[in-house]
Amino acid sequence: MSMVPGLGLLKGMALTLRRFFQPAVTIKYPEVDPDIAVKNRGRLQLLYDEHGTLKCETCFQCAQACPIECIDMGGTDTKGRYAVHWGAAETYGERREESALRRAGREVPDAPSTRFDPVNLDAVDAILEDHDHDPHRMLSILEATQAEFGHLPVAALKHISHRTGAWYAMIYGTASYYRHLRFERTVEEVAVCRCTACLMAGGGRVAQAIGASLGTELGRPTPDGRIRFTWCPTHLPGAPAPLVTVDGEPQPEVTVANAATWAQALAGEHPATRTVH
Amino acid sequence: MTAVTGYWNRLSVPSKVLLVAIPTLVVLGAVATVALAILVPPLVDFLAANEDLVRFLLAATIIIVITIPTAFVIIYLELKVIARMNLRVGPDRVGPWGTAQSLAHGFKFLSKEDFTPRGVDVPIFTLAPVAVFLATIMGLLVIPFAPGLVAQDLNIALLYFFAMGGLSVVGLMMAGWASFNKYSLIGALRAAAQAISYEIPLTLSVVGVVILAGTMSLNTIVEQQAGSFLDWNVWKQPLGLLIFFIAATAEANRTPLDMTEADQEIVAGFATEYSGMRYGFFFFAEYVNVFVISALTVVLFFGGWNAPFDWPFPVQVTLDPASLGIGLLFLVAVVPVLGTILLALPFWLLSSRISTLQALAIGFVLFNLLAVGALLGWAFISFDWVVGLLWMMLKSYVFVFVFVQMRATFPRVRVDQLMGFAWKWLLPAALLNIFVTAIAVSLVANG
Repeated sequence: MSMVPGLGLLKGMALTLRRFFQPAVTIKYPEVDPDIAVKNRGRLQLLYDEHGTLKCETCFQCAQACPIECIDMGGTDTKGRYAVHWGAAETYGERREESALRRAGREVPDAPSTRFDPVNLDAVDAILEDHDHDPHRMLSILEATQAEFGHLPVAALKHISHRTGAWYAMIYGTASYYRHLRFERTVEEVAVCRCTACLMAGGGRVAQAIGASLGTELGRPTPDGRIRFTWCPTHLPGAPAPLVTVDGEPQPEVTVANAATWAQALAGEHPATRTVH
Repeated sequence: MTAVTGYWNRLSVPSKVLLVAIPTLVVLGAVATVALAILVPPLVDFLAANEDLVRFLLAATIIIVITIPTAFVIIYLELKVIARMNLRVGPDRVGPWGTAQSLAHGFKFLSKEDFTPRGVDVPIFTLAPVAVFLATIMGLLVIPFAPGLVAQDLNIALLYFFAMGGLSVVGLMMAGWASFNKYSLIGALRAAAQAISYEIPLTLSVVGVVILAGTMSLNTIVEQQAGSFLDWNVWKQPLGLLIFFIAATAEANRTPLDMTEADQEIVAGFATEYSGMRYGFFFFAEYVNVFVISALTVVLFFGGWNAPFDWPFPVQVTLDPASLGIGLLFLVAVVPVLGTILLALPFWLLSSRISTLQALAIGFVLFNLLAVGALLGWAFISFDWVVGLLWMMLKSYVFVFVFVQMRATFPRVRVDQLMGFAWKWLLPAALLNIFVTAIAVSLVANG
């Protein structure tokens, strides 16, 4: 058939004639909104708040939700904890380097787990062995890890991710979801009760005094990040004095009068010599 | 005086305009009527005495003028049709559905600087686009658009047409030579080579039609094809049509064979040094040429202004407006106003949201539509040539569409393929067509 001269020309003409009667695919953009799926987020971008601080707090929920795992993170977050980068791995210089190394078949340094302090992974391995490397028992693994190290080191999380096959994002998500799991090293939690009875007994003034002494305010950690200053859940009414707890232990000796000195003593008791990422 | 001024100041702007315009128009109309009454009889005598000259001048003027809307329509058609074939929308910004796009193109060309480079042969450089354009529209003079609607019914019309078509080569060479640019010259030489090469099969391909018709008068050729579409020459000369169409594509510089102006090739060839409207004229000529070639295809092979089937038209009304006498004057004076008001009335009565002025505007538009429709219908019934013109235009624009579609479909051929095709295939095929036709005609005549 292809030997018939001119047949190709006729085929082409038939094609253009068919196209002529098909609807145009043009979207007249400014007048008509393009038909984009509601879930589409377009180009991912990190937002800054009005103080110029990155709003991202590395919760990894986006990375968990991403169906094609295109979101990756590196850099340092607002609390000085993590490396936060966002976007395709090739977008950032250090990631480009990684990419080049990977393509060259060379070993890729795992910057996040080498930069953050290496931990003794034998303990983690033992914990994982106990839990049969089962990612479904992640909460239990993480609790055991925290019991071992006092907090959750990044290196340990990375190792757990490698061994169990669970995404780092998922592990991070689990760890950051539960309040009793901590990333910070040896953090103490000073809490002031905010129930009505405590407020009546001077809880507000106690909280103010402790905050002033620690150099912070309610709900925020101290500048060195070592002590978290927060509020605790409501306790039973009828308290003679405002309830103050340290790591959940009630401190009955704290009153409105001695709160400031008590807090100074607490701060002096734990000099901020240890650096925290 | 104060009273008059006060009255004038209280008037709204439209009232002021009307108050001035109506007396002015009345006075002007009276003057014009008197002037016409005095001037018309001697003028008519003078025109009647020089009928041939008047006819020629009128025809030439009309033909030059109609090239402008023709080119505009074809440019718009090309933009829009090719866009549709590419699944695009095409121009839709200027005017409704982008219909004023070609007008915008025209203004763009006009507003650009008309640059004359140093060293060019100024008179020839200036005249070259004119020569190309003239060569194109001269062909229009002999094309019969409808019964009796042909500028000059020459007995050698076909020969004249091809002679004029050949003149465009002169224009191209003028442009290339006068440009003082070796690339322009190479482009012009290539264009001339193509045009001359395709001129030969083009001319030879219609010899079959001429043998069949026994005349070169296009009017007679069309008349001989009267009847149904089975009487058209296309059935007797299919090979002739094929060769003619391919060669005409090259002659009109249309896409598969548009080496002469391929912008990507040697920087637009002969038109390299041109800018502004002088550059635009080459393309103006090209688009008119598309129409001319389409019209000639229809005339030679597709029955010209003949309807494709026996057109049974029962109503034969001869309504001569002049027979109405003074009634015509009343008709002209009263009917528009009356019609406007009558058509506005239902809108004004039925909807309280439509103001009187809006209703009148609607009535005016409706009346105009009706009047134009009635006028066209009257012309359609009363005059043969209106029907003929419609068929002619319809058929011509079918071929214009085919040309545009070819542009949307085919890639450009290489220059050696182009020349080889003309000399190795089209020319022998055209000669074969002539011989077969001649033998068939002599066999029919003798046997």
